[in-house]
Amino acid sequence: MQMLKPTALIYLIPIILASCGPGTEPPSKADEYLADTAAVQRGRSIFVGTCAGYCHRLTPEVIDAVYLFDCEWKHGGSDEEIFNTVTNGVPNTRMIGFGTNFPEGEDDLWKVIAFLKSNRAECS
Amino acid sequence: MRSLNRSSIKLLLLTLLSAAFLWGCSPAEQQSSPSPDVPEMSESSNTFNGDDVAEALVISTTHWINQRDIGDGEGPVSNEMLTEPQSASAGRNWLQYGGDYSNNRHSPIEQLSTENIDRLSFEWGFPSGTLGQFAVSPIVYDGIMYLTTSYNRLIALDARTGEMYWRYDHQQPEDLRLCCGPANRVASIHGDKIFMATLDARILAFDRFSGEKLWDSEIIEYFRGFSATSAPLIVKDLALIGVGGGEFGVRGFFDAYNINTGEREWRHYTVPAEGEPGYETWSGNSYETGGAPAWTIGTYDSELNLVYWTTGNPAPDWNGDARLGDNLFSDSVLAINPDTGERVWYYQFTPHDVWDYDGNSHLFQADLDQDGETVKALVQANRNGFFYAINRENGEFIRATSYMEQLNWADSMEPSGRPVVNPAALPSEEPTMRICPGALGGMNGSVAGSLNPELGLAFIPVIESCQLMQKGLSMFVEGQMFTGGLPIPVDGVPDEIGDVAAYGHISAVNYNTGDIAWRYYDPQPMMAGTLSTAGGLVFTGSQTGHALGLDAETGDVVWRKRLGGGVRSQPIAYELDGDAYLAIASGNFQGIAAFAGADISIPEGGQLYVFKIDN
Repeated sequence: MQMLKPTALIYLIPIILASCGPGTEPPSKADEYLADTAAVQRGRSIFVGTCAGYCHRLTPEVIDAVYLFDCEWKHGGSDEEIFNTVTNGVPNTRMIGFGTNFPEGEDDLWKVIAFLKSNRAECS
Repeated sequence: MRSLNRSSIKLLLLTLLSAAFLWGCSPAEQQSSPSPDVPEMSESSNTFNGDDVAEALVISTTHWINQRDIGDGEGPVSNEMLTEPQSASAGRNWLQYGGDYSNNRHSPIEQLSTENIDRLSFEWGFPSGTLGQFAVSPIVYDGIMYLTTSYNRLIALDARTGEMYWRYDHQQPEDLRLCCGPANRVASIHGDKIFMATLDARILAFDRFSGEKLWDSEIIEYFRGFSATSAPLIVKDLALIGVGGGEFGVRGFFDAYNINTGEREWRHYTVPAEGEPGYETWSGNSYETGGAPAWTIGTYDSELNLVYWTTGNPAPDWNGDARLGDNLFSDSVLAINPDTGERVWYYQFTPHDVWDYDGNSHLFQADLDQDGETVKALVQANRNGFFYAINRENGEFIRATSYMEQLNWADSMEPSGRPVVNPAALPSEEPTMRICPGALGGMNGSVAGSLNPELGLAFIPVIESCQLMQKGLSMFVEGQMFTGGLPIPVDGVPDEIGDVAAYGHISAVNYNTGDIAWRYYDPQPMMAGTLSTAGGLVFTGSQTGHALGLDAETGDVVWRKRLGGGVRSQPIAYELDGDAYLAIASGNFQGIAAFAGADISIPEGGQLYVFKIDN
């Protein structure tokens, strides 16, 4: 069995972010892209081509990966938490960190998050 | 301790009683038992609380060794036995996934006939103990059945009674790189060894009597996107195995391992390296992540000394913009010299595939009657919906005809064997067209077909479930999915597209002409293998959880039994002491069932059923 050594960051992030409720989340770069149709469309295209093939589907289907358009988040649903999960991955799962591999760098990931936010269910 | 309701208290009492009973068995009693060595219980805890009742019965043993004399004394499996057609053993054994090297899965047992079918009754069963598709095509030799389950349990059973002789549960990492469920389709046999490939991309050998592990070789690091689900193909002293990973942008390959040592003898990459023939069919550096996995078993012609192996989709699946060209040798059949691993010829079914139409579906060796001449051919119901005939001596294209009812991604077939693509059927960012077949294909490589040479018919399980295909931007990260889009199931799914039904059929294809002789229609896509018998039957299973027996000449249903779970296995037949047996397993994987638009309401869980006709 491959044992990936969890980094201190992986443990610290949820603890730090657990103290931040949804209502206290500061605006992120994704929020800046929400009003930019082209940016959201690019985020959608990356999500369709990279995330939705077999894992995070666009509709809630019976699969083992998390559906990202409801209100349940395994690893945190704030913009920063999503950014960190995508960048660093989740140890011992198929969710490998994408690191800095997005074609246009961090901006592309913020656009993906903007796409997720623009299609997310209303959560209380 | 949290408060317990009545059912929890009952479960707790049962657990305590079971534990007390099991702990009361001394090791001496276990060893004197004729059954396999019973493992010691986990010493996890003597203290029970309401939260860990189930945990208290966790069994730590994962390998049960047999110490008894078993088998009928048939001796080691030789190369000659593997080379003989199955008819030479009169159906006593089922030695290979495909029955024999022809891959025709045609049992010579005449007892399994339309006249006797009413006498075919349940004899014994055995559970897989696992979820996911129970895709097995058991092998039977020397009165022993060897089967594999999802997640790579390997089990030896008395083929007459179902009594277990030994069992090995392969321990898997938690982060397997699977696209399509935890399947394994069976093991292979040679000499006194059993060979199994695993989801974490290893190949292992076991003593066929004791179940002891003899060697264990890593094919490649699974976490780079690889897996293995097929049975190895035994050729001479080699075990040939290919890998999955077309959805992860791997560089596909298949390997040959020395069956005695586990050492790799050669590797054949299915995507050329820079400068190699075929490299020019990939734009830019797209060949580096080209996919073309070789995840299903091949077939071997001992007279021509050629192994035939198929390859899967180029990566990324649904966006070909960054890999312009034909993308050799994806979606192809390759003829390989097994002594060297070198390619002799190839034929590509789907150049520049953007639909995930793997070329990996079941290959048959058949002798075609062409204008009075006999042609050694390969025939295949390809995932792209065409039924192909290829000259297996030189790779020349003979014919391709649709075996489906809704094929629309191609308008026609050029005389050269190159499909003429329907430009409206390309994936797009805003798809609206139902593309047929869907990504699972007409016939999927995860199931086996069968072929009756007396009737000249191949029996093909078909999925009629079209999909929208959406294109997106992809980026490669090793070990991550690299698909470039996704297929969207619409058939069988009530939505704005129009409630089109997903359905299936067994198509009997005249392989000399490509004509359809008959079809058996089923309300769900057909996603189990077929078995043909000399008695004129075709056996298969349905997503509705039934085992089916069809008249091979008409397609009429002559036998039907409810097994429970949806059937994804490959039925086989064998004959012992004059009695004919049929083995078929049920157990579905809901992820793929949903993807096909099939019913997912029946729970998962594998069970093997063996039926028998008394002599």
